[in-house]
Amino acid sequence: MKKYRFNYIFSGILAAALLAGCSKMTEQPYGMINSQTYYKTPDDARAAIIYAYSILPEVGYYSRGYYITTELPTENLTQKGDAGVGNFELDELRTTSTNPDLDNIWTYAYRGVARANAVIAHVPEIPGMVEAERNQITGEGYFLRALHFFNLVRMFGEVPLRTTTIDDASQIPMARSSIKEIYDLIISDLKAADSLITQQRISEGRANRPAAEGLLAKVYLHLASSKASGSPGYEFVANADDMYAQAKLYADKVVNGQTAFAFTPSLPDIFNIDIYKKAAVTEHIFDAAVDRSGDREGSFSKLPNMFLPADRPMTIPYNQLKPDSATIDIGQGWGHFRTEPGIYFSYADNDRRKTQLIVSSYTNNGQTYQLDITSSSRPFTRKFIDPERIGDASSANSPIIRYSDILLVYAEACGPTAEGYAAINKIRARAAIGDLQPGLGVAAFRNAVIQERAWELAFEGNRLFDLRRTNTMEKVLVQQYGKTITSGAYFFPVPQREIDTNPLMK
Amino acid sequence: MKNFIACCSIFLFLCLPAIIVHAQQRKITGRVLDDQAKPLPGATIVVKETKTATISDGSGRFTLNVPARGKTMMVSYIGMQTKEIPLGGQTDITVNMQLLPGNLNNVVVVGYGVVKKSDLTGAVATLKGSDLNKTPASSVDQLLQGKIAGVQVTTSGGAPGAGATIRIRGASSLNGSKDPLLVVDGYPWGDAGNLKQINPEDIASIEVLKDASSAAIYGSRGANGVIVITTRKGKAGQHRISFNTLQTKSFLSNKPDVWRDPVEDATYANESAVNGGAIATDVPYIGIYRPVGNGMVYFPSIAELRGLDPNKPQWPYNTNWVNLVYRKPYSQNYTLTADGGNEKTKYAISGNYYNEQGMVIRNGYNKYTSRLNLEQQLTSGITAGTNVILAYTKASGQQLGVGRSRIWPVYDSAGNYFRNSNTDFGNPIALANQLLNTTKTTDFMGNLYVNFQINSWLQFRTSINAKSGNSIQDQYDPKNSTQRALDNKGSYGSIANGNYFDLLNENYFTATKAFGKQHTATLVAGFSYQKTENRFSTLTGQNFINDVMKNENLATAGTMLISNDLQRFSLASWYGRGNYSFKDRYLLTLTARADGSTKFGSNNKWAFFPSAALAWKAGEEPFIKDLNIFSELKFRGSYGLTGNQGISPYQTLDRFGSAKYFTGSVFETGFGPGLAGANDEQGRTIVAGLGNNSLKWETTRSLDLGMDIGFYDQRFTISADYYIKRTSDLLRLKTIAPSAGYDQQWINDGEIDNRGIEIGFNAAVIDKADLTWNVGGMFTKNVNKVVAMGESNQVFIGTLYESVRQQISTYTVGQPMFAFYGYKTAGIIQSLDEGVKAGLTGVDAQPGEIKYLDISGPEGKPDGIVDSYDRTIIGNPNPDFIYSINTNVRYKQFDLSLQLYGVQGGDVWDFQKMTPSRWLQRWTPDNPSTEYPRANGTRGWRASDFYLTDGSFLRLQNVTLGYNLKTDAVKFVKSLRLYLSGNNLYTFTHFNKGFDPEVGESGINNGAYPRPRAVSLGANVVF
Repeated sequence: MKKYRFNYIFSGILAAALLAGCSKMTEQPYGMINSQTYYKTPDDARAAIIYAYSILPEVGYYSRGYYITTELPTENLTQKGDAGVGNFELDELRTTSTNPDLDNIWTYAYRGVARANAVIAHVPEIPGMVEAERNQITGEGYFLRALHFFNLVRMFGEVPLRTTTIDDASQIPMARSSIKEIYDLIISDLKAADSLITQQRISEGRANRPAAEGLLAKVYLHLASSKASGSPGYEFVANADDMYAQAKLYADKVVNGQTAFAFTPSLPDIFNIDIYKKAAVTEHIFDAAVDRSGDREGSFSKLPNMFLPADRPMTIPYNQLKPDSATIDIGQGWGHFRTEPGIYFSYADNDRRKTQLIVSSYTNNGQTYQLDITSSSRPFTRKFIDPERIGDASSANSPIIRYSDILLVYAEACGPTAEGYAAINKIRARAAIGDLQPGLGVAAFRNAVIQERAWELAFEGNRLFDLRRTNTMEKVLVQQYGKTITSGAYFFPVPQREIDTNPLMK
Repeated sequence: MKNFIACCSIFLFLCLPAIIVHAQQRKITGRVLDDQAKPLPGATIVVKETKTATISDGSGRFTLNVPARGKTMMVSYIGMQTKEIPLGGQTDITVNMQLLPGNLNNVVVVGYGVVKKSDLTGAVATLKGSDLNKTPASSVDQLLQGKIAGVQVTTSGGAPGAGATIRIRGASSLNGSKDPLLVVDGYPWGDAGNLKQINPEDIASIEVLKDASSAAIYGSRGANGVIVITTRKGKAGQHRISFNTLQTKSFLSNKPDVWRDPVEDATYANESAVNGGAIATDVPYIGIYRPVGNGMVYFPSIAELRGLDPNKPQWPYNTNWVNLVYRKPYSQNYTLTADGGNEKTKYAISGNYYNEQGMVIRNGYNKYTSRLNLEQQLTSGITAGTNVILAYTKASGQQLGVGRSRIWPVYDSAGNYFRNSNTDFGNPIALANQLLNTTKTTDFMGNLYVNFQINSWLQFRTSINAKSGNSIQDQYDPKNSTQRALDNKGSYGSIANGNYFDLLNENYFTATKAFGKQHTATLVAGFSYQKTENRFSTLTGQNFINDVMKNENLATAGTMLISNDLQRFSLASWYGRGNYSFKDRYLLTLTARADGSTKFGSNNKWAFFPSAALAWKAGEEPFIKDLNIFSELKFRGSYGLTGNQGISPYQTLDRFGSAKYFTGSVFETGFGPGLAGANDEQGRTIVAGLGNNSLKWETTRSLDLGMDIGFYDQRFTISADYYIKRTSDLLRLKTIAPSAGYDQQWINDGEIDNRGIEIGFNAAVIDKADLTWNVGGMFTKNVNKVVAMGESNQVFIGTLYESVRQQISTYTVGQPMFAFYGYKTAGIIQSLDEGVKAGLTGVDAQPGEIKYLDISGPEGKPDGIVDSYDRTIIGNPNPDFIYSINTNVRYKQFDLSLQLYGVQGGDVWDFQKMTPSRWLQRWTPDNPSTEYPRANGTRGWRASDFYLTDGSFLRLQNVTLGYNLKTDAVKFVKSLRLYLSGNNLYTFTHFNKGFDPEVGESGINNGAYPRPRAVSLGANVVF
């Protein structure tokens, strides 16, 4: 009996011990995809590019962060009194390396780079894909990487040029690359995108061939004008005119070489969600796309709340030039951004971009309220509104490449030629401010285009870069608009968090 | 221990009849009762002079034939003080037995076995279930407060069903769990803090394993200490049914500090708006209509509130929110137990119903638990048993604020809940009646064990333990009822499900053998395998058509959100312990455990935790014994390693994230590198997902030096310990370069140091038959310090407080954990000149504002500007020491016990500092206060020591007066005890009136759930 019992016990123990003691205790993850289980099928490739796009409408990027970073330093926007310290530093051009908003945009742009790198590295390896789709998705990956680096280089200058996926912490330390190296990558990425993406239009929110060409035109124009104006950091550009020619070449492909996107004659229609999301042909070449049915901010946008005053729900005429026209209810917001008098008073009184696209009065419950440019509830842009929004959730996309932007790129690249005048005058005609004075010299003409861009593209995140690339930060912001610049005029400081955690950054 | 006693009883019961001398003199009957006035079966009753003896039966009764020369009767029972009773003329004697204080023969439950208290080498504290306070408690955790030296128990309020935070010898992890491991009847359950599944009345004993020697046998889960709970078992030789009930009425222990007069409230609000620069029409109480929804709400003027406006009637409302929101709740607790057994079978069955009403209306907690414990001797060497526990809980409602202005009514003229703006979500009656918030849990635990007595010195025990349970939380916020509803497109409904399953197989041998007369050794060696699976899912709906169905049909929501998750992990372990005793004076214990966990990185799968302890029972040395001073004198020392495996599963692997993106007609799903996790202090999503193959446990190296001293046959005992705990390889989320596309990665680095002294003492001051007086107490001092955190010197932790726009708690190298960070202040600015000179600008420099100090600058010295360089460590929420005194007096049938619990030192960050009674003393030009600032609605204060208040307190925790009915007074009733118990009766403190100073581990007062003052009437009946 005793012996039998011993045997029984020991065999039991041995079995149990072997079972667990010899197992490697390896983890079996659940509900989780990783590099071991992904990038296997064509559907994985499609999901990989979707993930790369999904960074764009995030709060830290085009749903809020991009506008905070690019608009507050200019004469366009200031912020409410209890905004964060980062906003104030940007608005007053005294940014420091600990600025939380700059840390934010840096972080989101690089997250976008990481996601685009994953597409570029893995999609070409996925077996069984139709070649056209593989090219298309890989091309979109190149486009997105170029977009993020174009944002980074215009904001921060020399930054680490990450082109591979990070699989191990040992890859983290990386030094800055020169601005030239960064532009070399941007241009080669966009040329790759231009050759790999063959479609004129894929869907809302996805990059297409005109987007790649339009962005490439903007890149060349940035190089051209920076060189021509002697903007700091761009001494490496060999020849400004060559760059203008390249800008013209690619802008021309968008302006004259395609039919999927075109000029929208009515200003309110450009920013009408029902039109730009549904019409066959629109101005919105490439947007960070959102929809109010989304389940979180980033899927929908709260950007309208940043602009709309907080006092009470507002009703405005759809066409403000016709007060009796159909009205739209646009709700109320947080009044976070406040329009600066600088931009507001720079418009001619009859400029439709002021009369139609800036809301200066509204009604509530039958009562009319005027907005005062010096108060806390100021006239605000109606480029970002959604009359159908659900609560705070809006479908207002953030335009990244708009037809009128590229049309003005084309005008600036052409200079005071017939094509150049035709392009800028098309914009001015829509704004009902008449033709540009003819016979301007090259510099005067290009200055006029820059000013036209300020009016046309106000609040869309272009002005800061236009001032930087024309070496006019001091001339315009200080001398014209009375701001002071303490730091970060041409390049913002690299975030301290990066410096502290990346041993090769100095 | 109970089994041991029962075995001895049986042995005596079988042998004694043979030695009873039959003589025909006098017959005495009687009854033996224990310290709880419950019958004590198996007690030995001997006539001292003649050795005539008998044993008490199952109901404690005995009959004894006393020979003529018999003058004294001795009653003895293991673990109890032997009583000598002079035999007079009486023939019916009731004997009340008392526990031996700190008895050296008591056995103490340690990991994988028991040990005689006198043979302990490690720092182990023990507490009997009967020593717990009699007060409503949903779990035993909060009842441990002040009971055991070295154990700090903190509750952050009095919400029904709430648990407690338990720290043994300080907190020793930054990001991993800080909670001790809870072991119930040998089954490691997980983190201590809310043991709702066990009825406190079912607990026989609680052991706390504090040092490395005692906790190392739990290896990678032992670093925070171990709490071992042993439930009551049936005893052989008795069958009894007992019924316990506790009926409790509770009261607010702190009178809420709210505005008493609407005029004062409105005057303050107007002054605050005006000082804040509001335009005239934005000053609240000026007799003006403001839009709300589709209508208007009238804000009265101060004259109307006073009734002095000739054109308006006296304002009709003066709502007392305190009376509407708080109540005097009534709570009930019932336990029915049947237990007993014979030499082969022992059983215990119990059922409990617990109902706790919250202080706040429509807030409560219900619990049902039941337990079956059965043990059967199968053959002479094999015993099998089972223990099954079922528990069901239901919690509903939530805390509500009472600070709403008295100016506003509960309902508007149409009978709807009144609101004064579109975003006014502060009407507590509306919230109480409109919001659905219910959580139900069910838990099942079962184990099955077989014990083989292989031969006289070797036994083997194997067990299968399982536990599973689920919880469901139902929530619904109707349209525009809360900020959450607004943020969720109007209305919010959710169902959150969680369930878990845990399976454990334990197998171990125990060998005990004496070698010669001087050497004794005990060896324990075993193996275990544990597998855990936790599963969660949440269904959320936003934007419902109407509120009729609440969350009952989430598919009708405008937007639906789903999330689900599962975590699974396994732990395989080898463990062993050797105890060696030489001459019963020199004791050595060696313990080790090897844990292999799936959670650890592939480079570090197995962890090893050894420890060693030595003890010298100096009291047994002849030269000390001869002094005749000490009944016990023992010195102990131990050193060893324990671990903390507080990592979530899968952290060692690379993990991809997913997100949706809108492509014109639908949202498409994407996957890629970078796992979007929680939000950081700026509301930004934190991206993790970079694996770490080397991730491992935290290791705590502890040294313990202690001694146990007893005098007068253990009537006076003291235990004192000094310890040093150094925890390294701290689990930490390292910030990685954001350009990598990730924000954080789990790594091991950093160190924390805890060291302290703990003293426990007990004194049986008076020990007479009719009168006993016992005094006990404890003193605990722990000093905690963050030694290193890799490349960081400081990390901010906890909530970002909007009101001060920063996180206030930090882990700072060289400082204790949770140290507060902010500005230093020096009273209130009295003139603009003073403000400007102090380095302040704008509104901050105005008279009446808080005077922040310029103590540093970019160069490290004061620069004339008060800015973020002037922030520094300003406070420490960790107490200097905690202490408690317990005393009880028994006189005949009456007993009275009392517990005092005190916390000394420790700052509280009091966000509720500016209560209405203090706002009445605010700075105004006419009242240049140096203590309280002016009213100003638009400027925010900075995080500063203005908020800090000393959190010391001494609480009269419990007073219980009991009466034990004379036995045999009622037919069929073996014993009856009635008692009146008061809990949280009074708190001596200088803290903010209106709030309780015990606010939780991190020391932040946000206005916690009020802690009730409870008065309970209890009864224990044994049939």
